[in-house]
Amino acid sequence: MSKLSRRSFLKGAGVATGAAIIGASPLSAAAESEQAPELVANPSQLPKEPLVAYVRDAQKAEVTLLVGTDEVTYRDPALTKRLLRTARPRKHGAGEVA
Amino acid sequence: MSSHREAPEISKDPVADSTDVYAFVSPDHPDTVTIISNYIPLEGPAGGPNFFEFGDDVLYSLYIDNDGDAKPDITYQFQFTTQVQNANTFLYNTGPIGSLDDPNWNRRQFYSVSRTDRKNSTTMLSDNLPSPPCNIGPRSTPSYAGLAAAAVRDLASGETVFAGQRNDGFFVDLGSIFDLGDIRPLQNLHLIPTPMTASVDTLSTFNVHTIAIRVPISMLTKDGSVPTDPLSGKAVLGIWAGASRRKVRMTEGPLHSGAGPWVQVSRLGNPLFNEVIVPMARKDEWNASDPVDDNDFAAYVRQPELGKLLPVLYPGVFPHLAGLTASRDDLVAILLTGLPSGIVPGFQNYTGPTLADVLRLNVAINPSSTPNALGILGGDLAGFPNGRRVFDDVVSIELKAIAGATYPLVNASYTPDGAVAAVNGYVTPGAGRYQSAFPYLGLPHDGFSTPSP
Repeated sequence: MSKLSRRSFLKGAGVATGAAIIGASPLSAAAESEQAPELVANPSQLPKEPLVAYVRDAQKAEVTLLVGTDEVTYRDPALTKRLLRTARPRKHGAGEVA
Repeated sequence: MSSHREAPEISKDPVADSTDVYAFVSPDHPDTVTIISNYIPLEGPAGGPNFFEFGDDVLYSLYIDNDGDAKPDITYQFQFTTQVQNANTFLYNTGPIGSLDDPNWNRRQFYSVSRTDRKNSTTMLSDNLPSPPCNIGPRSTPSYAGLAAAAVRDLASGETVFAGQRNDGFFVDLGSIFDLGDIRPLQNLHLIPTPMTASVDTLSTFNVHTIAIRVPISMLTKDGSVPTDPLSGKAVLGIWAGASRRKVRMTEGPLHSGAGPWVQVSRLGNPLFNEVIVPMARKDEWNASDPVDDNDFAAYVRQPELGKLLPVLYPGVFPHLAGLTASRDDLVAILLTGLPSGIVPGFQNYTGPTLADVLRLNVAINPSSTPNALGILGGDLAGFPNGRRVFDDVVSIELKAIAGATYPLVNASYTPDGAVAAVNGYVTPGAGRYQSAFPYLGLPHDGFSTPSP
């Protein structure tokens, strides 16, 4: 599994490829840009089989993807950085869970 | 208690907690093997209004190794789906449940069965199989035996299956043994003595949820044969159970989702292995591991903690056991490798040098017409530790073994302490606990009359 590319892994799992997705539908190309993430006030319903990504080790830039019954961990400094930046504490607002 | 609530984490997850595994040549169909795995320990029969059921988010597995490498060659998996018929009532049933499709039965479970072979090829054998309701009482489930019988299904592939509530066939004096290792027949000799009292069959009024499958022997052996020579290596099957959950569970309001691989949270082969042999700090690890890696736990079999405790708890009662410091190779054979030929005349269930906690069933041993609950210790080669039948007195057998009864198998000069004989079927299961036909465990106790009003 570790020899697979992220793109081929996601494709094999029947998921459209893109950047990090946390319990969400496939991202558009815009989401891969460096623009600031947009808060979603009314998120879509929890999917039956969510794609889950989490930062396993921020120092080592390890990100784990769970898709269907597959699991794979990548070293992806850019994705790790983007996730950590998005996850920075902020004042709670629409679309956020306190 | 066999494996009910035997480890810290799984004790918080009853629907995935395997309580007992049984594997035996079916007495009424000796060309088949029956494998049973029970879940949900200590089900109080009156436990409504949300009566007990299997976990829709749990993958239940039965594993069979037929070449002695402690890895599954055949895997049966069961997955459940719950359906609510009437969203506008809090009731489990809105009237008597007379059949498995009775409109009065509001909350029902169905399940699928698949079989995976050694090449990892999976075949869905059947789905949408009904699980019977829980046994509630004379108004709700007036003809329970009929409901349960209707849930026994023959599959086109040759297996027979059942998944649903039964009474717990395991018997043990639970309150006594967990009170600092009190063995009631010896309680006046305990370090903290109490007057002699009768033993208690603690689980006599509890139910479990049973997954049972009866499989032709020819579908389990490596070469498709039905062995007749007990001394043939291909006559022995290794059998164990596991329950798994998705690695991630997400909850949002009433919705739940799972993601990632199935992760094993419970496993069970020999009764009491994780409970009595493995230290508490490693019990969760053991549940998550596989039999092929059980060498990591073999040290606890070679020097079992309970074997050292007994002489302390019963001063002067187990002097020979107190002096027994050698590796308990008898227990290693019983629990981790099987008994090789030459130990018990006409019998072996050796699977090779790989140390693995699995039930080892020699399918060439015919069912006994006069079974002895002490199994091989009682001269009955068809009983534990040759697989395990529903009525085998595994507590007495394993207590006696750990207390030294089986050490002469590897050192003929050793004489077991006289007290070992007292640990002899001191709990007797009551009537109705078992039945002669599949799934062999008796009907579940109903909530209305258990305990008796």
